[in-house]
This record gives sequence, C-alpha cells and structure tokens, in this order.
Amino acid sequence: MATPVEMPKLGNTVEQCLLVAWHKRKGDAVCAGDILAEMETDKATFDLTAPSDGTVLEVFFDDGAMVPVFTNVCVIGEVGEAIEEYRPKTPVPSATAGTASISSSGNAPAAPAQPGTAGVAVSPAPDGGADLAMSTPRSNGAWFATQPATPPENIAVPVGRMSPRARRFADEHSFQPSRLPGSGPDGRILERDVRAQLASTQPVSRAARSLMDSGYEIRGAGTGVGGMIRTSDLVPPPVRFTGMRERIARRMEESLASTAQYTLHASADATGLLALRREIKASPGTPDITINDLVAFCAIQAVLEVPAVNAELIEGRLYQRAHVNLGFACDTARGLVVPVVHRSEELSVAELSGRMSALTTQAVEGTLGADDMVDATFTLSNLGGLGVESFTPVINPPQVAILGVDAITLRPVRKSDGGIDFVDVIGLSATFDHQVIDGAPGARFLNVVKEKIASVQSLCSI
Amino acid sequence: MFDLIVIGAGPGGYEAAAHAGSLGKRVAVVEKAELGGTCLNVGCIPAKTFLRSSRLFREYREAAAFGIIVNAPSFDLPALVARKDSVVGTLKRGVSALLRDTSVEVLHGTGRLVGRNAVEVDGERHEAANILVASGSRPAVPPIPGIDGERVLDSTSAFQLTAVPERIAIIGGGYIGLEFASFFHEIGTKVTVYEALPMIASGCDGDIADELLKILRRGGIEFHLSCSVLGIEGSTLRYQDAGGAPESDSATYILNATGRTPVVSDLGLEEAGVDVSARGIRVDEQGRTNVPNIWACGDVTGRHMLAHMAVREGIVAVNSMFGRPDRMRYDAVPAVIYSHPEVAMVGKTEEELKAAAIDYRKAVVPMALAGRFLVEHVKETGLVKVLAGAAHGEILGVHAIGDLSSEFIVAAGAMIEAEMTLAQASEIIFPHPTVAEALRAAILKAQ
Repeated sequence: MATPVEMPKLGNTVEQCLLVAWHKRKGDAVCAGDILAEMETDKATFDLTAPSDGTVLEVFFDDGAMVPVFTNVCVIGEVGEAIEEYRPKTPVPSATAGTASISSSGNAPAAPAQPGTAGVAVSPAPDGGADLAMSTPRSNGAWFATQPATPPENIAVPVGRMSPRARRFADEHSFQPSRLPGSGPDGRILERDVRAQLASTQPVSRAARSLMDSGYEIRGAGTGVGGMIRTSDLVPPPVRFTGMRERIARRMEESLASTAQYTLHASADATGLLALRREIKASPGTPDITINDLVAFCAIQAVLEVPAVNAELIEGRLYQRAHVNLGFACDTARGLVVPVVHRSEELSVAELSGRMSALTTQAVEGTLGADDMVDATFTLSNLGGLGVESFTPVINPPQVAILGVDAITLRPVRKSDGGIDFVDVIGLSATFDHQVIDGAPGARFLNVVKEKIASVQSLCSI
Repeated sequence: MFDLIVIGAGPGGYEAAAHAGSLGKRVAVVEKAELGGTCLNVGCIPAKTFLRSSRLFREYREAAAFGIIVNAPSFDLPALVARKDSVVGTLKRGVSALLRDTSVEVLHGTGRLVGRNAVEVDGERHEAANILVASGSRPAVPPIPGIDGERVLDSTSAFQLTAVPERIAIIGGGYIGLEFASFFHEIGTKVTVYEALPMIASGCDGDIADELLKILRRGGIEFHLSCSVLGIEGSTLRYQDAGGAPESDSATYILNATGRTPVVSDLGLEEAGVDVSARGIRVDEQGRTNVPNIWACGDVTGRHMLAHMAVREGIVAVNSMFGRPDRMRYDAVPAVIYSHPEVAMVGKTEEELKAAAIDYRKAVVPMALAGRFLVEHVKETGLVKVLAGAAHGEILGVHAIGDLSSEFIVAAGAMIEAEMTLAQASEIIFPHPTVAEALRAAILKAQ
C-alpha cells in the first residue's frame, strides 16, 4: 500500500521547513531508514527518512521549496499504485512558486535558493524586472541593498558552508555574511547567524542606541541614511500586566472559554425613571438616588421573579442561589472592580443606593474589604453614563447572566391616533450562558426588567 | 514604449528624468514652457539674482563703513533683468546638456495622461511603463475683488518691471512676499506687507520669525499683521487691520504673494483615477499615487513646495519604480528664506515640538559669536537656535537668521539625518573663521 511521507513539525514554532535537496528521485527504490531529503528549519537541519521499503512514486516539491509542516512531500509504495489522493490539496508550489509566494507576503522578489549556484542578491524577473520590482516593493527595505544589476562576484561564503535558508535570508536582505564559522555543524552558517550578523552590522544612531539600552526594540529595517536605525524605528518593549490587569485578563478569558455567551438587546420606557430622578433632585433631604440605583433596584426585583438567572454553574452542576448578591462593575484607575451588595433583595431602594455609593467610593479608593468583592450571584454593568447604546457584557463565571445598562435615548413611537411621539428609552443588554438559559427564557427575563423599569415609580417608594 | 515619461521639466522632473536616464532607462520629459520650470525661470534663480543686486546696491550705499568711498549709486533695473536672463539662460543650457548626456528625450508640448500607461503630447500618444507627474505649481489667486487688476503683479510678472517702483504693497508675508519685500526695500521702493496671520514667515520657528519681523521693521519695511485685504481698485488697496476700521492705501504696484497652488487641472488625472484634490496629488513616501504606474513628485503633491525637496522626491520615485529601495524622509528638509537677512532652517520648530509633546532642550546664540559674522557685517544681527531631545540630546531642529546661514544649514541637516547627539556634533571641527561657528556655539551651549 502506498505510504505518504509528510513534513514533520519540529518545534512548536516551526510552521514550514525548507526542502534543501532530495537524495532520492522519483522512481528510486528505497529501504526503510534511507535518507529521502535534507530539510532545514530556521534552527536546525535534519534528514527526512523513508518510513518503509518501496519505490518513490511521486515527489510533490522541488529542491528549495518551503513546505508547510504536516504536508505530504512524497509517496512511497509499489510501482503502479495510485498516488493522487496524497497530493497536497492546495496548489503545490514548485521551488520558484514557493519563492513567489514569499514575495507576495511583502518580501523582496528573491532568487530561488538553488544549491550549487552562486547566490545572486536579487534576481530580476525574466521579463520586465522593473515591473515586478515595482508591483512588489521591498517593504522590509534594506536600503543598503546591492542593486539587481550587480553581478554576483566573489561569493563571500562558499556554497555548502552556509545553509540554503541562511543564504535565502541573506539574499532577501541583500546582505553578505562574513566568512566566520557559524553555529551549525562543522561551523555551517545558519539563518540565525546571518540574522545576528545583520543586526550587529546595521548602523544605529547614538540616540537610538540609548533607547535600545533601555529596552526598546527594532521594528523593521532602519529608515535613516544608509539603513541606519533611528529612534523612530524603535518601539517600546511590551508592557507586563500588573497583578490586577492580569487577574482581569485571566477571568475574562476564562469566561469566554468556559461559557456559551449570547447577548440580547432591548430597551425600556425611561419616562418613569427620569421623572422619579427629577423628583428626587427636587426634594431636599432625600438621599441622592441615581438612575443607576433605580435600574439596579428594578433588576433585583426582576431577578426575584426569574430566579433562573440567579444561579451558578460549577463543574456541570447548577446551584440555585437563594439571595441576590448583586455585583456591579466599577471603573477605577487600576481597572475594573466589581463590589458586591450581599442580600440586595432585602434592601429598600434608599438602602441599596447608600450601599452602592459607599462601595463605589471604597472601590475607587482601593479600600474594599475582601468580603465586599466575593459571592456575587448576578452582575450589573452600566456603560450608559459613557454614552454606550448597546454592548455585550461578559459574564463573570460561575454566574450565568449579567445585565448591561445603556444610555437613555429618544425614540419615536407610533401613537394610537397614528401620529408620532418621542419617548425616552433606556437600553438594556443582557448576556446569558446558553449552557443554562436558552434564548426565550433570557428574553422573558429581559421583558420583566423592562416592565419593572417602566413601572419604577410605583415600584419604588421614595 | 518608454520606461518613464515625466510630465514637467522643473527641478523635480528633470532631475528624475536624468536619474532614470543614467540608470539606462528609456526616458522622456514633457515640457509645455521652458526647461527648468518655475524654479529656474520665474522662481528661485531669478529671485536670488535680483536679491544679489539689491544687496550689492545696499552695500554700496553703506560702503563708507567698510572704508570705501563711492559716489551715490543708481539702480538699472533693465540691466538686472538682462543679467537675470543671462543667468537663467546658462542654467537652462545646463539642464539641456544634462538631459542630453543622460539620453532623455524632451517632448515639447502639453502633456496629458491617457490611462495609466500613456501620455498624449499635443495630440501625439506616447506609451510608458511609468509616468511621473511633476507639473509643479502656479501662483495662487486669492478671492480678493480686483486681484486681476493691471496694477497687480504676481511673482512671475514682478521679474519683468522696467523701472523701480515708488511704492509697492505686498499681499502675503510668507517667503515669497518677504524676499520681494527685501528686494524692493533695498532698491529704494517704499514697501508695505499685508499678512492675514498674526506672524510673518508662517512655518518658521517662532523666535526666528519674531527676530526677522523686528529686523525688517527696524530697516523700514511696514507690516500689517492679522490684516484682511478687502479689495483692490486700480492701484488702491483696501484693507482692515484686526479690530480696526477699513482703510486704504495706494501703491505703484500691488504684488500678490499669497502662495502657490499645485497644477492639477487639464492633466487627465481624474480620468486616470488618480487621488487628487485642489491641494495636490496624494502620494506615499516613495511617490506612488493610488494608481499603479503613476507617480508624482514636487509642488504638485502640495507639500512643502521646495525645489530641493522635489528633486529628492523625484529621485526616490525613480529608484522605487525601478526596484531600488529608497524612501523620502521629511524630518530633515532644509528651507531658506532669502530675505535680507536670510533665514535658514531644518528639522522641527519649537512650536512643533511643543505640539507633539516632545521634551526638548534649546539654546539660542547671537551670530555675532562668530568672528566672521562681525567681519562681514556692520550693524546686522542674527541668531542660531538649536533644539535637541531632552533625554538623549539628539539634534531635532536648527534655525538661523543672518546672512550666509543658508550655506551652513546643510551641516545641521546632516546632523539631523544622522540623528547625531549634541555630544557627537560637538566633536565636529568647524573651520575658522566662518559664520557656521555660530552653529557650533549653539550646539555647545545646548549641551
């Protein structure tokens, strides 16, 4: 039976390998363990060996091709066996086509690596080299490049002493490496040696050097005179997350990885909310209850009516929670903090408002106790104050739902007499975990929230 | 089939064509008027010729201070125009020789794009793999009633005067207006400059522009800043100073020096799909337009409108179209105002650094620190200002006012190109005695 031989993946970061040279050709008889071809990654060279005895029925790549890992490179079997099913699906790049595909990704049109021939810096296309060069400009520009017209005189490193991959890299950068021994077997110069040499020989301005000493890194080629690296070619080193940012990042990633989130958007009549808020503002002596407090109160009442959203999913088990421990997202200088109002359903709207206000102050000051940040069973996130009209809140697992509150906007509504009225509405964006709550129940919960908000004046006695 | 057709034989166009020719390409350049374009025929070169004479005229008047007694000189404007024509003629023959030596074909006529690979020159179609649009600019005509009157000059017709005018009103205090202001002032014309902005020499470093205004006013040129010109009737100009009532002034001539506008019409650019507006053709840092094979350089791209920048842009475009890696860098483009005194600058101004929130240090020194400056002048003053990065001391901008500064500003440009620090630049040996030593003094002071 025919056996395909695929390009192995050597190393986690290796996505493709260079097929340096075939040792066997189509039609050659091979024994298991025979070297079929010489391969090379950017770090090492290795031999591809025959997995079984047989005849090389077909080879899918030529010398010098870049082959993606896990792609069939040849087939071994008995003469006459079908091989078509093993042919790689995508058009097989030949040596030249492989080079062209690299060019189109932004690199220079370089000569195909041809073992045994001199390393030409940049090979003009056979017809109209200027056109090709123009349509695929050197975006990684090596400004000190030797010109295409330059003949490949005195090759600094004899073929064989330098790996084809290294030579390809050098060619692409129009760079002539020194003859010093490389870090490969027998002093063979590998790509990493050429990279290092190129980096160390690129001129760097004094100011840029100072920045590099403080951790700045080179982005692309130098843009100064003669390819000199200038400060504008440097980027700051990546910033390490602080503890809190790291925690938020991990929680958010876990949330999206471990749940099946979907978000529903709706809006509620905000006429009552605004009227109540005006009333509160106009009555001295009453606590300063905000729109957000009122919406939180309505949400709690809705959760009590639809307890399915007040649950936690932990390792495949659903725990219904008796109390509504309301978490609410707070924006602080250090990032997102979610303080928790425990047993929020037991509080009057004024008490809820006072509690949320106190917790917010502590969150901003960074003085929340550990108890104030745990055991939330349902979360509220309000971006309406920032003008957001809809968003997709991210659930804080193991909770199964979160209610987002959007901005209040004006909406035209058709009156019974056919005329048009404008009504203030507040947007609501609720995210549910589909593992627990299906779309219709989620929508029903959102409708309950709408009803509570629309009737907030009768719900809350100030 | 040409490898390249260049539209416009100004500095950007002819240098690009010659460069492509020297690379062995088959090149043509289309010119509807004279080789050399605005710069050579009606711009930089005529202006500098005029200013050379006006300076000499002033120096003769002040010769006694140098120990030379001369009779009262008089100014022969027609003789100056003849000398200008002779200088321009010599340079034009030089351009012609350059194009011949580099085998560039000159197509006389009006060029127009027909598609992305052909140019029609007076009806005749020429195909080219690449087209470089270097059509330049023309004097801008602001919407001022009467701006087309017969007493109104622009920077082209001002070079054709036959007699020294008694009074001239110059609309615009940019580099064109200021150079003409210096010229006319020195040959004895009463000069008034009307500028819409609160400052002259827009784009200059503020300290230098302030100093220039002070020196020119002290010399006797009148300036109206933040001033709107309301209209022109015959040789009378109506204007309104900021917060003031409308006034009027009459002059022998009124010179429109409100700037220049890219030449983008009647070139077939829109039809070819080129991204172009009244502000110019949009190109990337290699000179590519949005249409493959069509490139642009110089004033027509509406950027700095400097001949030397057009030259570099044209060469970058040619290198890029023929696969030779190159790119424009705009952070070390020198600029000179040939007013008397002249102003030379390169790199960032202090205002630009502030706007970009770049921490900087600066030093300003008087030109008189350089012995040569005192030797050359009697009562003139000047300044050199150096701006450098606060942390590393890399030189970011050099701004100078004082004659001969145009001849050493290239050194500052090289320092900026090399991102040289003050410490590195202070190792450079400056010849003594030269005016350039003022730059050295400023570098040492900034350190």
